[in-house]
Amino acid sequence: MRTKIVSSFALVAFLLLSIPLFAHHGNTAYDTSKAVVLKGATVTKFVWGNPHTFLMFDAKDDKGNVVHWAGEAGSPSSLGLIGWTKDSVQPGDVVTVYIYQSKTGRPVGRLNRIVMADGTALKDSALGYREQ
Amino acid sequence: MKNYFVVSAAILTTALILSSLALAQDTPTSRPGQVDQRPPSTYQKLADAGPGGPAPVHDLNGFWNGPLEPKFGDMPSLTPLGQSKFKLNVPDPFSAHSNDPWRTCDPFGFPRSATNETRGLAFATMPQGIAIMTQYEKIWRMVWMDGRELPKNVGTRGGASSRWYGYSVGHWDGDNTLVVETTGVDDKTWIDRRGYPHSVDMHVEERYTRVDHNDLELTVKIDDPKMYTKPFVVVTNKFKFTPQQLEDEQLCVPSEAIDYLNTIAIPAGQDEAVGQK
Repeated sequence: MRTKIVSSFALVAFLLLSIPLFAHHGNTAYDTSKAVVLKGATVTKFVWGNPHTFLMFDAKDDKGNVVHWAGEAGSPSSLGLIGWTKDSVQPGDVVTVYIYQSKTGRPVGRLNRIVMADGTALKDSALGYREQ
Repeated sequence: MKNYFVVSAAILTTALILSSLALAQDTPTSRPGQVDQRPPSTYQKLADAGPGGPAPVHDLNGFWNGPLEPKFGDMPSLTPLGQSKFKLNVPDPFSAHSNDPWRTCDPFGFPRSATNETRGLAFATMPQGIAIMTQYEKIWRMVWMDGRELPKNVGTRGGASSRWYGYSVGHWDGDNTLVVETTGVDDKTWIDRRGYPHSVDMHVEERYTRVDHNDLELTVKIDDPKMYTKPFVVVTNKFKFTPQQLEDEQLCVPSEAIDYLNTIAIPAGQDEAVGQK
């Protein structure tokens, strides 16, 4: 009897753990415990595309060296619902970027939000509703 | 002791359920420090619209809003051929090592167009049939309603060629259910994002039931004895009539998808993160 119960729970647990594999997209590559804050970042490219939009920008590191970053956000459909458009961010914009960096340590990540020069915040559709 | 074990197992299972569901959603999780809520989607807003009156007879015309993904049914066992095909398919359009046709924006084919990215659906009545249009990828399928039969021996010498979206005929079952039969779909397409295969001889039945003015329910059933040991419902879905008839542009663009993989997915180590080397 106990074996059957254990087997049932194990099966249910396995099936449910499988669910994330079928989710739209995970963020397991990123350290989502804390966003890196990059002030004075200059946008070089904004791709309003599928599967996800992404932003490329330059920001200086602690030593003053320019680092070329890339950060993804939700799909155009998801971001469009929360106020973004294809032209919300443009090359040359100087912004503050809150980003969950890749666990590899490379300058790539998932955006939390972008704060424009006028203080307007553009949040990511997935991880933008966390306070950092 | 026995009760303690059962309770512990139940608690563990519940915890797994909650963590699994939280990870599965492309939405913010409920964590301390979370600020204002993400606004509801158009589909979520329409859920409060109510029935809107009775369903009109033999009329699905217009634009309908759906959820991002439908509800999957229980998969039957695969045949030995089905198993061998399934093993070859590596899902995940976000992975550099996947062979998901979606990764480089190949056409979904059918029924994947009804099992993947289902936010928008539209119907238009034509002189001899009904066009079913899918928002994602702007897919347009023609369902002939003039009594013609489906082609036979598709994909064989002397038969019709298989196609991305096959061949479809339809009829009304009662006042409010459109039944669509499809076969002849090119077998290089997958039936869903999980990578399940199909043969050219697959027969798919879609049943669209307009239960009232604002609600449309869909069941997609597959019969493919070459690949599966019995017929099965692959997905069910629910759509809401969109009063403003607004659609969104959702295109998978090959150059953008490749740019995304090279700029984001590969440098970020997404394959390593999910265990693919």
